[in-house]
Amino acid sequence: MTTTDERPTRVADPEFERKAERAEALRGFLQALPSYAYLVFFFAIPLVIVFVFSFASRSRTGRPVLSDWNLDSYAKLFQPIVAEIVARSLWLALLNTVLCLAIGYPFAYWLATRRSARYRAVLLVLVLIPFWSNFLVRTYAWRVLLGENGFVTEIGRALGLWDKLLFTQPAVFIGLLYGYLPFMVLPLYAALERMDWSLVEAARDLYASGWVAFRKVTLPLSKPGVIAGSILVFIPSLGAYVTPDILGGAKTTLLGNYIVRQFTAARNWPFGAALSFVVLVVMLIATIIYFRTDARTI
Amino acid sequence: MTVAVGLHAVTKRFGDVVAVDAVDLEIADGEFFSLLGPSGCGKTTTLRMIAGLEFPTEGSIRIFDEEVALAPPNKRPVNTVFQSYALFPHMTVAENVGFGLAMRKVPDAELRRRVGEAIELVRLGGMENRRPTQLSGGQQQRVALARALVNRPKVLLLDEPLGALDLKLRQAMQVELKDIQREVGITFVYVTHDQEEALTMSDRIGVMDAGRLLQVGTAEDIYERPANRFVADFIGETNFLDGVIVAEGHVEIGAAHTVRARTGAPVGTAVTLMLRPEKIQLHHPDEVVDGRNRLEGTVRHRLYFGDSLYYEIELKSGDTIDVRVENVPSLPRWDPGQRVAVSFHHDAADALTE
Ligand SMILES: Nc1ncnc2c1ncn2[C@@H]1O[C@H](COP(=O)(O)OP(=O)(O)OP(=O)(O)O)[C@@H](O)[C@H]1O
Ligand SMILES: [Mg+2]
Repeated sequence: MTTTDERPTRVADPEFERKAERAEALRGFLQALPSYAYLVFFFAIPLVIVFVFSFASRSRTGRPVLSDWNLDSYAKLFQPIVAEIVARSLWLALLNTVLCLAIGYPFAYWLATRRSARYRAVLLVLVLIPFWSNFLVRTYAWRVLLGENGFVTEIGRALGLWDKLLFTQPAVFIGLLYGYLPFMVLPLYAALERMDWSLVEAARDLYASGWVAFRKVTLPLSKPGVIAGSILVFIPSLGAYVTPDILGGAKTTLLGNYIVRQFTAARNWPFGAALSFVVLVVMLIATIIYFRTDARTI
Repeated sequence: MTVAVGLHAVTKRFGDVVAVDAVDLEIADGEFFSLLGPSGCGKTTTLRMIAGLEFPTEGSIRIFDEEVALAPPNKRPVNTVFQSYALFPHMTVAENVGFGLAMRKVPDAELRRRVGEAIELVRLGGMENRRPTQLSGGQQQRVALARALVNRPKVLLLDEPLGALDLKLRQAMQVELKDIQREVGITFVYVTHDQEEALTMSDRIGVMDAGRLLQVGTAEDIYERPANRFVADFIGETNFLDGVIVAEGHVEIGAAHTVRARTGAPVGTAVTLMLRPEKIQLHHPDEVVDGRNRLEGTVRHRLYFGDSLYYEIELKSGDTIDVRVENVPSLPRWDPGQRVAVSFHHDAADALTE
């Protein structure tokens, strides 16, 4: 046994510090282990599988064959049909994001500026109520509303403005707007609720009109909410599958449906895998660039 | 006197709460005016109504003879230094300071020159490109000041601008603020609940309580001749003795003790006699005191404060009063239990009727 006198005498003993750091790192790793395991099993491994399949070839019946590795699936990405579907998906996702923002911002602003905390809580619960039932069920409900003799259809006919919308692009659009609006409202509300309103008063005191104060102070300071909400709406809109599948028709194929079709009816797993993988990478890069430029401006 | 800010019968209600109650006030051009009062008395609300951040329920507010009670804040020739500074976190120091000028479309060259001057005035040269979060509390305070002053407002409103600073910095900034006010010659309306700050900095002070303006006057007016018991109690330390006027200028306290006091109240009026602890002297019970009020009592406690000593004296009437004595070698010390005489000049005793 060694004597207990050999404790490190200097606090700044480099060896001791290094050990402490290593122990700290190990502890952090162990704490995060369950999350790591989850990410590895449900994200990393499936992604690798998708990545591998994108280079596979097909048997004559369309079964994926894990030999004869090639880039054919990637070459197929340049077909005009893909460009058309991507353009349509992008347009719809962008339009949906802009409209969610246009509707969600005033609402979140109004919500965040209510004085009574209880009133705010009630309104917030109202925003969340749709989540109490399944998305699929709610989308089917829209099928009734938009269908023959549906409520929305009746209104349109009464006004003479529109007829049955089901299985058209506007139906898909309404479904997306309805489905993703809460994802815009919530981060916007979170950002606006944290706002220091005395900053707006300061701007008003410094000769800014109400509108200018909003533009120069409220809007820039709620930008993190705008960005978070836009990402939360844009990305799932771009990959939407359920909504266009249930509410859209044959002419409204979007990326999500197109990819699913490759794995089902078209029996072209490698092409579906390549498509998925490219979409993923593009969105990842776009998101990173978005955050980077934003970090510089805030 | 040119009136910079005039409030006439201004009342502000928030639902059932009367935050400001029928306030009449005139603040002179170039004056350093303080609003002083306990928490919740309506100081901030009054200031915000002058700024236009709150509109009065009733009454009129004039700034240099222009009625502004219902004008929006951006249409008033005043600027505010907010209690929490309210600096824009997404702008640099220079952008913060230049905000008001930019809003008023001041040409670029002039804007830059004036921002530079304002930053020099508050001695923040070299920090133009920092963000507010990269500044200390005292520096943020200066930015807030520069951001308001750069616009050359006719009236500058300050809401407890030094409230968040520690004592040393606070005292330094008090001197600096006063210097700046003299230099720019702008009317300052200064809100504080720190009486010492108000007494040392202000030309005049308005004391508020529960939405009402109780007294307006110089520091000396308010300390020496408080209008009522609340003001006397709020400013400095005071002894209060209940009494009744028995003859012109004479107040009876307890039974059989009559003292001369400053009062105009008629005989028979119940009054509160106000006596500042530092205006009372202690004597040996046998000592003869000429021309001064004299009472007898017993020392109950002695407190040592370094520069002074506090004695708690129980008077024969049963009242207890505090006496403050400078800690100088020439004055004797008294021990608890000792009998003493207390004396005070009749001018130092105010008989208050409210
Ligand atoms: N927006 C408001 N809604 C309701 N009541 C308010 C509002 N603003 C102020 N009050 C009430 O008005 C009264 C005066 O408030 P004010 O902020 O003017 O006090 P103050 O003198 O500045 O106090 P402090 O020294 O604590 O800052 C308080 O009772 C306060 O609760
Ligand atoms: Mg206040």
